Amino acid sequence: MVGVEKTMQHVGKVLQNIGICENVYEILIECPKIAEESKPGQFLHIKVNKGIDPLLRRPISISRINRDEGSISLIYQVIGKGTKEMTGFRQGDDIDIIGPLGNGFSIFTGSKCAVVGGGIGIAPLLELASCISDCDAYLGFKCSTFKLGEYKAACRELHIATEDGSVGSMGYVTDLIKNINRYDIIYTCGPKPMMKKVKELCEKSSVKCFVSLEERMGCGVGACLVCACRIKEGDTWHYKKVCADGPVFEAGEVDFDD
Amino acid sequence: MINMKVDIGGIKLKNPVVTASGTFGFGREYAEFYDLSKLGGIVVKGLTLEPREGNKPPRIAETPAGILNSVGLQNPGVDCFIKEELPFLRRYDVAIIANIAGNTVEDYCRMAERLGSHADGIELNISCPNVKEGGISFGTKSDSVHNITRRVKEYCEVPLIVKLSPNVTDIVEIAGAAEEGGADAISLINTMLGMSIDINTRKPVLANMVGGLSGPAVKPVAVRMVWQVAGSVNIPIIGMGGISCWQDAVEFILAGADAVAIGTANFTNPYAPLEILEGLKKYLIENKFIGINELKGRIEY
Repeated sequence: MVGVEKTMQHVGKVLQNIGICENVYEILIECPKIAEESKPGQFLHIKVNKGIDPLLRRPISISRINRDEGSISLIYQVIGKGTKEMTGFRQGDDIDIIGPLGNGFSIFTGSKCAVVGGGIGIAPLLELASCISDCDAYLGFKCSTFKLGEYKAACRELHIATEDGSVGSMGYVTDLIKNINRYDIIYTCGPKPMMKKVKELCEKSSVKCFVSLEERMGCGVGACLVCACRIKEGDTWHYKKVCADGPVFEAGEVDFDD
Repeated sequence: MINMKVDIGGIKLKNPVVTASGTFGFGREYAEFYDLSKLGGIVVKGLTLEPREGNKPPRIAETPAGILNSVGLQNPGVDCFIKEELPFLRRYDVAIIANIAGNTVEDYCRMAERLGSHADGIELNISCPNVKEGGISFGTKSDSVHNITRRVKEYCEVPLIVKLSPNVTDIVEIAGAAEEGGADAISLINTMLGMSIDINTRKPVLANMVGGLSGPAVKPVAVRMVWQVAGSVNIPIIGMGGISCWQDAVEFILAGADAVAIGTANFTNPYAPLEILEGLKKYLIENKFIGINELKGRIEY
């Protein structure tokens, strides 16, 4: 329509958008600029359709970055209107993206690491695990699993738990972590009770721990202040922004009891 | 050359597109997207005398073509704004309007005093639906609107804009009270009080139970209110409420707005204010207007 230069908003091309397990989809998007700039733990803010319902973009974490092919992959769970709409993307469709956004994970070379993921929280840890030379993975699913092959290729040890026992051990992923003190750093993403438990385990053994949080977002860039999370600072606390101050925080500063 | 300049009660804007309070922070985030000097003005996030943490999350609920928010005026306080945020904004050639909210009339007066002439204008927020004290309670009765406007005006070194709440029975009466109280301009509408309930958990979606509705869903209400107020006051009007494209902006100006504010649209399309400005210019040229002022209130009956 009019000539406004949009240097921070990108149009990607959908290469593939397929179901990878019950209610979980993976969308592969060609967008060299984003692939080049992204790092593990960041997210993209996606316009799910051209209309005004749903009105807001959807923040989806980056699952794989393929710099050579100029593409990125996102894994999303179909929860509501927006993610349901996303399943309608077909190969060749344009997709309107703002990103990469958020801080992403800090990587410490030479450290022994583990990722602990639960449910859809497994998605953002995959690229991270593949970037770390010495990394184990602890993954918890409700029933059906996804991305086990890629995790196996990226990690030294792979530990799996399912709530129904259909794959790996029956129960919660946090029950699988023995000798947590053999790790220097743990990265976790998933349901809050799981992350809280991982944080407690790490605190007991003085292991450094990073969590990736999720909250309902508006702008995604730090302007609207809706995605607040309680962060401790000494004896007091402040609301910080999951989108711009996070989504990755040091576990010790996150107040999960709020 | 099309004349886009507008004068909002003494605040000189080089074009009629401003960003709405609460949707644009203190400009830093959107400065990554484009040169803020392209905007006519920036109305900053609502300020209070002391810093505020705001409400518990969840603070947002999406509704058809709209959002409900209950941020609750999270902000670093007026002194921190002057010291830490204003110098950044002053690097740009853009009018800065400070939105202020308080628990008491005295709070507002003290903030106006502290702001002095640091900002180019003050927007009196007597319409925030998300705080327990103050906010909207000042903005729903005409005698209290008159009183707070008159009192705060005494302390203002820069033009005073009164931002009106749509959650009233008679917007014309409220606008009249602001004008009589000495307001230099009026902005409307703030958000409409709303609620959303999750039928699976049977709980309100917002931790605050209720919040302010914005986005395209409120636009027809906003256009109606701007039209009513424009027909009854003699001070400039900044119209807002669901503006997401230039056509929406034209509608508000035809209804009687002198300038428009872009709010929720920033979240989905950070470039919306610039696209709206370009679209407005094109519309004026195509319809053979020589300036934006000519379009104001040109609704045909």
